[in-house]
Amino acid sequence: MSDAALPAAQVVRPSRLRRLEPVTFLWIVLIAALLVLVAAPILKMVVISFEEQDTGVFTIQNYVTAYGRARYLEALRNSLMLGTLSAAISVVIAVPMAWAVSRTDMPGKGFTWATVLAAFIMPPYLGAIGWILLAGPNSGWINVAWRDLTGATAPLVNVYTFTGMAFVIALHSFPLVFIFVKSALDLISSEMEDAANILGGGTWVTMRRVTLPLVWPSIMGGFILIFLETIALFGTPAIIGIPARINVVTTQLWQFFEDPVRVEVAAAFAIPLLLVTIALIAVQKLLLARKGFVSQTGKGGERRQIKLGPWRWVLFAWCFAVAMLSVGKPLTVLLQASFAKAWGRGFSFDNLTLRNYQFLLFEHDMAPQAVWNTVWFSGASATIAVVLALLVAYIVVRRLMRFADALGFLAMAPFVIPGIVMAIGFYAAYAGPPLSLYGSALLIILAFASRFLPIAYASSQAAIRAVHPEMEEAARILGSGRLHAIRKVTAPLLKTSLLGGWLVVFIVASRELSAAIFLVGPRTRTMSVLLYDLTEQGNFEVVSAFGGILLVITLAIVGIGMKLVGRDFMLRRE
Amino acid sequence: MFLIDRRQMLALAAWSAAATRAWADSPMNPQERELYEAAKREGEITWYTGQYSADASEAAGRAFNERYPGVRCNVVRSTSQVAFQRLSQDFRAGVGQCDVFSSTNGGHYVQLKRQNRLVKFRPVNADGLLPILRRPDPDDYFQSSFLGIYLMGHNTNMVSEAEAPRSWTDILDPKWKDKLAVGHPGYSGAIGLWALQMRTMYGPDYLRRFERNKPQVGRSSIDPVTMMTAGERAVGVAVPSASTLFAASRGNPLKLIYPTEGVIAAMSPSGIPTNAPHPNAAKLFQEFQTGPALSTAVRLLFNESIRPDVPPPEGSRPLDQVTMLAPSLEEAEKGVPEVREQWREIFGV
Repeated sequence: MSDAALPAAQVVRPSRLRRLEPVTFLWIVLIAALLVLVAAPILKMVVISFEEQDTGVFTIQNYVTAYGRARYLEALRNSLMLGTLSAAISVVIAVPMAWAVSRTDMPGKGFTWATVLAAFIMPPYLGAIGWILLAGPNSGWINVAWRDLTGATAPLVNVYTFTGMAFVIALHSFPLVFIFVKSALDLISSEMEDAANILGGGTWVTMRRVTLPLVWPSIMGGFILIFLETIALFGTPAIIGIPARINVVTTQLWQFFEDPVRVEVAAAFAIPLLLVTIALIAVQKLLLARKGFVSQTGKGGERRQIKLGPWRWVLFAWCFAVAMLSVGKPLTVLLQASFAKAWGRGFSFDNLTLRNYQFLLFEHDMAPQAVWNTVWFSGASATIAVVLALLVAYIVVRRLMRFADALGFLAMAPFVIPGIVMAIGFYAAYAGPPLSLYGSALLIILAFASRFLPIAYASSQAAIRAVHPEMEEAARILGSGRLHAIRKVTAPLLKTSLLGGWLVVFIVASRELSAAIFLVGPRTRTMSVLLYDLTEQGNFEVVSAFGGILLVITLAIVGIGMKLVGRDFMLRRE
Repeated sequence: MFLIDRRQMLALAAWSAAATRAWADSPMNPQERELYEAAKREGEITWYTGQYSADASEAAGRAFNERYPGVRCNVVRSTSQVAFQRLSQDFRAGVGQCDVFSSTNGGHYVQLKRQNRLVKFRPVNADGLLPILRRPDPDDYFQSSFLGIYLMGHNTNMVSEAEAPRSWTDILDPKWKDKLAVGHPGYSGAIGLWALQMRTMYGPDYLRRFERNKPQVGRSSIDPVTMMTAGERAVGVAVPSASTLFAASRGNPLKLIYPTEGVIAAMSPSGIPTNAPHPNAAKLFQEFQTGPALSTAVRLLFNESIRPDVPPPEGSRPLDQVTMLAPSLEEAEKGVPEVREQWREIFGV
């Protein structure tokens, strides 16, 4: 009896020890980190939206204030309409491009890819400034040329309108639709199109009746994402919307931060943004869930390019026009302005100057500091996000813990939180006592890390899924511990995709405005915030020069990324 | 025209380079010297300002660094209402980051003083300011640092001098529809003062009638200067004389209009918040602002000198020849938030 009991006890003890392996502590640390980064700011925001300022007594007065005025409701309505219109324009722009690149023999596919990438990395507020220079009703280049050519007095285009603003936003959002739709189209085999052809459908009918319906969920998915990005956008509505007299939710939130600072009312006003986002993400999940049986049959299938004949030049013209409107023209006028004494005077030698760059780099007290802040905040937040995401993804994918999915849920949650709402949550939770992080670099780094955690998580998850556990198991059988196995086997295999994730987070963080705007202090202004401050005076020459510096930094990072990770690292859909 | 301007500029630059050096070397008063020694231990001062333009604020910061080596000025330039918003966010979070706060809206100081958020301090140099600026607060919680002249300007290629509006009520004429540009009282403190002054003089209907002409609304009062330079709008309303003259000096076809009723004069103070992290450097900065070094630096960028011993800028009308209109600080405290709200109801933003 006692002889039998002894071995049993010996078996139990090591297994208990094994349960206390480092991964348990890691799990606890991760939960704590995610609570600090994700759950606390959001909970705090929801809580204070029901609190009276100073006393903290429960009240619904904040909601009454936030929705008690026609103007505030108008802002909400404007945001919803702007989101819908921008998303619709993006779909119109991007779907033909995606179809052309994925399914047809259109020339210039590399060029189209480059356009999509360039439109993606250009910060939306820079595009907005470019378009003010292009499509100001009187001074915009397009309108000046139009008047010269036709003798007309009315402007051809006006950026200071609702459609103008939606169009400018769409020109920098469409890459999301493109990526979604193209990757879905890539999965459809030509057999389905062949079937339609055999039954008498021409290219056009087939595309409309067969191909596009198959990728409908992806189109909707892209539409929803752009809608959400647009309603959370701050820079473009502030730069174009104020002269155009269009108030939206984000600019209204800014007004609630005027003295007296009403964080509580801002929180109450931000809640619907959060609810709309959650609802739409749910819709998107439903739509994308159907994707499995609409296009992926599990069979290989043949993929052939559709021969378009002369029509391929029409499609190429479309892609070329998009390239000009989204990147070519805005970039040209921004560059011109950045080297101009007065941009309105156009291209001429006596209008050329380096003064704008000189002012920023050598005379401006804050600009070099802002450049440095941007680089190191983005780097630090990308590192935090990637490390955290990798560990969470590892636990979730390998199902190491019972509640692993809770971790995954928390890591993805910031995806449904608009940046400006996140900033209000961080301000409410950490700006004041007891932590008093307001004005510190840490506050912004944490906010950025939290905001872009989902991007890092999605790429880590995909990367870890791709590494079969066998390799790690082999290491463990040979006696290495789990963390050792991760360090020596898994991590080296993941290096490239992790670097890709890190770079994407770095780039989106380096241009982030809405999450930074309420959190920066005098010494922690980023380039995006300083750029926003500079636009107040309408001094477009200096603003453009600063935008030029920002683009050079971004391009350098993208270049490094392409070299190390592969040309399509920004646009891979993971 | 261009040549003459440039020659003037060169002469001016030569003169002022010499003058700046002279003032940078000018002796410190005993209080200033004492503060400088204390400030060196603090090392820096953070200045939230909405008074001078971005260029002039940076120039002022550099002049300070030059005059007081070892103490660095961090210039945080935005519109005045945004600067005040940031200061309020600091107070709300309980984190002191601002050492000196400079706003064009004097009402901010009445409010801050009432809330016991300002440090009592009188710089010795304040005795040498223009008489009207010498003592903005009898209790010395804030000191004058800025005299801004806000008037109208026009693009001479788009509107000739004869056609240009002459008074603040001229711009209500429907013939100016789609031709005007203006800043925003939710951002610019000076536009808040202007809107309040117009309401006081012409009644609450003024803004509504002004809106019918669909002025282009920017944020800063300086924004319309860009709009005029670009040819986007012909007439800038309530633009600062300094930025307009500066743009004209760079070869842009701009001219000032002194409205018949008078110009808006923002006689604006600066104050030290009670939670300033560098209190001695802040006091030193107040000595700097009220002393000749600041006026010498900013007059190069066409800002008014606030001292009789520093000459006024080139090209602007001497102050004793213009009528200056200005709401009192108390009126501004109450009135500017009111007109800002009315503005938003009328303009939608």
